[in-house]
Amino acid sequence: MVVLLVVFSLVAGQSGAAAGATPPSPDSAAERQKLEEQIAKELGTQAQPVPGVTNLPGPAAAPSAEGAKGGSPFGRVLQLPDFSAIVDGAFGYTNLSPAQQAPYSDVLPQHKLQPILQEVELAVQAVIDPYARGDVFITFSPDSVEVEEAYLTTLSLPWGLQVKAGKFYSPFGRLDQLHRHQWVFVDQPLSQQRLVASDGLNGAGADLAWLAPLPWFLEVHAAYQDTVPGFEAVHQLTGVGRVIQYFDLSDEATLGVGLSWAYFQSAGPASFKNVAGADVFVKIRNPASRAYLTLQGEVFGRQLSDQAFAQATWGGYGQVVWRLDRAWEIGGRFDAAPALTQVPPGTEYDCSLIGTFYASEFLRVRLQPSWQRLPGAVNGLQVLANFEFSLGVHGAHPF
Amino acid sequence: MRLLFALALCAAIPGRAAATLNVVTTTEGLGALAREVGGDRVRVETLSRGIQDPHFVDPNPTLAVKLRNADLLVDVGLELEVGWLPPLVNQSRNPDIQVAGSRRLAASSAVVVLEVPTGPVDRSQGDIHPSGNPHFLSDPRRAEKVAAAIAAKLTQLDPAGAAYYAGRLAEFRKKLDAAISRWRAELAPVRGTTVVTHHNSLTYLLDFAGMGAAGYLEPKPGITPPPAHLADLVGIVRAGGVHAILLENYYDRKAADLVGRLTGAKVEVIPGDVGGSKDASDYFSYVDLLVRALVQAKG
Repeated sequence: MVVLLVVFSLVAGQSGAAAGATPPSPDSAAERQKLEEQIAKELGTQAQPVPGVTNLPGPAAAPSAEGAKGGSPFGRVLQLPDFSAIVDGAFGYTNLSPAQQAPYSDVLPQHKLQPILQEVELAVQAVIDPYARGDVFITFSPDSVEVEEAYLTTLSLPWGLQVKAGKFYSPFGRLDQLHRHQWVFVDQPLSQQRLVASDGLNGAGADLAWLAPLPWFLEVHAAYQDTVPGFEAVHQLTGVGRVIQYFDLSDEATLGVGLSWAYFQSAGPASFKNVAGADVFVKIRNPASRAYLTLQGEVFGRQLSDQAFAQATWGGYGQVVWRLDRAWEIGGRFDAAPALTQVPPGTEYDCSLIGTFYASEFLRVRLQPSWQRLPGAVNGLQVLANFEFSLGVHGAHPF
Repeated sequence: MRLLFALALCAAIPGRAAATLNVVTTTEGLGALAREVGGDRVRVETLSRGIQDPHFVDPNPTLAVKLRNADLLVDVGLELEVGWLPPLVNQSRNPDIQVAGSRRLAASSAVVVLEVPTGPVDRSQGDIHPSGNPHFLSDPRRAEKVAAAIAAKLTQLDPAGAAYYAGRLAEFRKKLDAAISRWRAELAPVRGTTVVTHHNSLTYLLDFAGMGAAGYLEPKPGITPPPAHLADLVGIVRAGGVHAILLENYYDRKAADLVGRLTGAKVEVIPGDVGGSKDASDYFSYVDLLVRALVQAKG
């Protein structure tokens, strides 16, 4: 709430500044600043420009001076948001029973080759006004329709601040904020699903992010959301904090390290749950090449209210991905997660390999065989053959 | 100790209070033009390097740090950087470099764009740029227009430097006019001929040289050359007397070498931009290399 009040007061201040009459041209930048402050004082607003407004004519911002008979026939088209649809389908096989699999993202029948429509994502993305942009993602699966994310992101807050408000993936860890079509592997690691959230920690709320004024990238997040965590399928008020940093190790190597923490408020006043995570990401790429190598890992720890820290539950995954060229990519992932209650207690391990062929930037097919080792010496084999395609204009993804 | 840390931090953080303008460009070619007209009044940083395919730059968050303090962002436009620049601009928290912002200049706004689609566009045509071909900086005539647009923008942002920027632009134009005359003379023997290129990235250079493209190694933009297309291309090269196959040094040259071997056409590897090779250190040396490649290929 405080975050929203801050946002609205800043935005209102900027709107007020924009509404003022055009001052006479001052002779210097200092005089102009002084005049702006004087006008702002008299209007009772803040001396901040409306972002993006060009106060002098320039070659890029000025519209054509020649005019066009009848105006532009494309005016409405030019204002349309970016629309896209991304479809994920697969054929899956497993020798595990549904009880042994759950809560995998896609539960498969035992010993059958099962076609699955995993997800259709519809995205609508655009800039809302000079102050914010909006992104809406609706996902369709055979059983449900869900608002996956719908949020605004501010574009013009001062002091390196940025607010995201609406429904969105929590700023927790690296994988949690990625949509299905951004995953390298066809599924999420078990450790992510069981210790954080089965479909990603996600919910309505607000996230305040600060980009520190440092020579490297350091961003701090503080979010307050209503989420459904992996350990208890009910809505819980959640506080999330994250620090993420990126460093250029060389012209060819980038290191990203992050720490995340989520605090879940349960129904009882003395009841709480903590989930903490640490993530590391390294990308090595010769800039002149399409090939690259990435190393990525996350560790998650969960402490429930009746547990001491020493009794916390741990899990995590590590993966290596090698993009061979424009079209081919291979990778491997090792995953360790707490086993489900339906099987003997202990740790479940998963080793997955993946091979991906990119027909173009908008179509890829993947084959992912996985070997699972459950407590009680149960061995599982799962194979997923996935195809994914993208229609329309979809916004570029962050690193 | 704390004082030392604070001083080190202050030194590390660039700010708008500095005497020079922080100009960030998406490509090294644009950066070279910004240096030509901005001189000592600008500090130029580029988000990509000349050895990179500008379509596929990683949106590394460390680049957003460069954008945070940008007094001016110059991009090519025409969706060339659409796969990586928007998230960086969002992460930068710099409101004035948003699209159409007061500190943003799309270089494409200064030039006449070629290969603008006139009919329906879909991706069966490959990964085309629906607003037109963005690879215009290989044409010195268009580079002059872009340099003038950058000078105008710098003048707008730094009125005290108006005379300085005008002087630098005049000097650049003088050098460029002389170079254009030299390049035209060197290109005279190959005028009217055709070459094959990997991508349609040399359209503007060929237009300047009075040459044409007989075909492309890519069957459609962004699509890997399949054998059937290369077989067709071999026929075109043999029938049309095409003497050269040109490709930027960030492309895989396997297909070019194969077509060259089957047809006798010479394969010339060129820098993709300023900084794309050791010899392409500024805009003039970059175009020098392109012109030399066109001329040498004829033998």
